[in-house]
Amino acid sequence: MTSTVFISVRVPVDPTRAFEAFTREIGSWWRPDALFQITPRGDGTLSFEPGPQGRLITHLKDGGIFEIGRILVWEPGKRLVFDWHHASFSRPDEATEVEVRFEPVGEETRVSIEHRAWDTIPRRHVARHGFPEQITLQRVAAWWRRSLSALRTAKTA
Amino acid sequence: MSKANLDSTLAALADPYRRRAIEMLRQRPHRAGELAEAMHLSFPAASRHLKILRRSGLVDEERDEFDSRVRIYRLRPGPIADLKSWLTETDALWARQLTAFKAHLQKRSK
Repeated sequence: MTSTVFISVRVPVDPTRAFEAFTREIGSWWRPDALFQITPRGDGTLSFEPGPQGRLITHLKDGGIFEIGRILVWEPGKRLVFDWHHASFSRPDEATEVEVRFEPVGEETRVSIEHRAWDTIPRRHVARHGFPEQITLQRVAAWWRRSLSALRTAKTA
Repeated sequence: MSKANLDSTLAALADPYRRRAIEMLRQRPHRAGELAEAMHLSFPAASRHLKILRRSGLVDEERDEFDSRVRIYRLRPGPIADLKSWLTETDALWARQLTAFKAHLQKRSK
């Protein structure tokens, strides 16, 4: 168990097409999620404003727009990184970060998602919160992971 | 404890002495003196670290019922539980969304 969620899937298209579908067609494939709502008013219809200065937003049924996060890395066919804010987070700067990678596997593409929690978000976020230097932070993250697996062992034992 | 406090929790843990104290407290509550000893610190130095842990919400302090000069420290389970539930929810979210994404592409490629 780690403080980062990592999950991947193989899709029957090339990386360029997978990236395009992931970003341009997110409004069609994203399933509103009862258990993990982006806002208390529902998920709405998601869309990426493309490009390195873009953002991921959702259009709510009542006409409102909620910004899920800013795009941090936009490399079509390869890599996409964006902030992930959740409307229930009590502070606006309480963001987590999502990285999506697109890797060719023969004719297909492996799409991997890494959703990083607070303690594993790199320097940019660290600086904002006055954290100690990166190396210390990595040690803390490792410690945290060990603690969590210890806790899990204790619970299932 | 809310999710918003998690990063202050983690900042409080960015210190080997404080992590040592937390490891002790994972087993059972301890007196401040016992923690100072385990951290190999003077009592005043240990107190400063315990104060930081207390302010971050990771531990609670109470007075010993028989001797009010003695402080007892105990771990609060909130921060770890919050992180665990976030991980579980987020993992399930992406599993469902990537399944939907794949179905979307399979439909289109046919």
